[in-house]
Amino acid sequence: MKRFVAIQICALLLVSGALGGMFAFTPVYDEVRSGIVLVLCLSCLKLEPKTNAEFTFFTADNRTHAKFVLDNLSKGPVFLHYSGDACAGCDVMYPVIKDLFDVEFGKQDMFSTIATFESTPIPYIYVNIHHTTNELRDAQVIYDKDHVGGIPMFTVVTLGYDNGDVKPKYTTLYGTLATYGCDTDAERLVFLQQLLHQSIEMYEQNKAGYQP
Amino acid sequence: MKLQRKRLLSQIILFFSANLGYPGYPGLKTGFCYPFFYCQACPAATSACPLRSLEQSVDKGSFTWRLFLFPLLIIGFLGILTGRAVCAWACPIGLLQRGTGRVARKVKKTPLAKKLGAHKAEKYFRYTKYLLLISLVFVTSYLIGFIFTDICPVGFLTGTIPVLLLNPGKFVPNFFFPFALVIFVLFIILIFIIERGWCRYFCPVGALLGPFNKISFYHISVKTDKCKHCNVCSYICPMGIDVPNMHRDPECILCGKCVNTCPEELITFEKTGWQ
Repeated sequence: MKRFVAIQICALLLVSGALGGMFAFTPVYDEVRSGIVLVLCLSCLKLEPKTNAEFTFFTADNRTHAKFVLDNLSKGPVFLHYSGDACAGCDVMYPVIKDLFDVEFGKQDMFSTIATFESTPIPYIYVNIHHTTNELRDAQVIYDKDHVGGIPMFTVVTLGYDNGDVKPKYTTLYGTLATYGCDTDAERLVFLQQLLHQSIEMYEQNKAGYQP
Repeated sequence: MKLQRKRLLSQIILFFSANLGYPGYPGLKTGFCYPFFYCQACPAATSACPLRSLEQSVDKGSFTWRLFLFPLLIIGFLGILTGRAVCAWACPIGLLQRGTGRVARKVKKTPLAKKLGAHKAEKYFRYTKYLLLISLVFVTSYLIGFIFTDICPVGFLTGTIPVLLLNPGKFVPNFFFPFALVIFVLFIILIFIIERGWCRYFCPVGALLGPFNKISFYHISVKTDKCKHCNVCSYICPMGIDVPNMHRDPECILCGKCVNTCPEELITFEKTGWQ
């Protein structure tokens, strides 16, 4: 009996010590909060949001644009790709985006590059929310146009003309683009190509008046 | 206050505690994992489902030890203290099954249910939850990226349905939806025809908690030497355990119904090591 109680006490001390250690010395609490609780995996939710792909000047809750987006916007339209682990929808979109920009990177990498599309430089920033910095992760809510709060999410930031000013204008897409009529990888690719074409046109029309 | 009323109060309080995350009311989103089965996709969820963290830790050949250990340690901590009592005293799905239990108890009296319940294969069927835990939470997540969450009926109930109701017309079903819907319907049928059917046979979180009954401080003790084997306790047990012959059974959820029912008061809660 005494031996059994000793085993119980040892097990409890071991588990509580390890749990306390994890809280104190690892970022696991923040990882779970920011990577699981605050951001939903849309395929886990078994739903696709019905949103439009129209460009807008208004960020979610009128937040200011992310600094890294503004820094890159002088080079060309910025493409933000939000993805995550254990997310079937993200896995569907991952090869499509690689085809779109003809780039190669790992799913858990922090990756950004100046890709080229129709001879225009496109700053492409890949953000796996489970393996990234706070700055990149926090920018997701800025461009969460329809307050979906889920991944996969794609944002194209370009330039638009508004009452005498040239300002950043963006659109955000969610999920596997099924609600835009895309059911195959080829259709998803064509849809994104059209969207990029449109964003480049807007960028070219307005870049002369843009003051970062 | 009677034990079963205390348990109901505990279930209701913990149900509301699990739902403090609705934006603004009060919007408490924490980085904890629930020690029971509840979905972080619920608009009001306060914490993360432990299965989601485990699935993410082994996503497609990767291994993130922090996300693997964190939910196991939370469950382990409570498991060592109280065994599987979380299922009976805290889990919102347990509360739901408490509601459907009245119908299930009526079904239990039918000849077919009696025959199936007494079948020798029934006790082996209880291992299904361990198989589900190992196969869909760990193996398929690691090998092909298919996760239990994609078809989870509890996620459908506590995540998908509330999101659809709160955002009418804003979402459409994805590829997994029809499969999850079928599983959800089967889940609902199950909990209406078998008392605690989900906990008995399929709950992967129950599979995580169950083994801790073997070493938990709190457990149910039966004075077998004085037992007259009237079997009232076994009949009332929502988990269908042969109570007089159980000793730290991984299926026991410490609901205390047998404690209340035993006419000889031979069944008690024990607190090993605390006396």
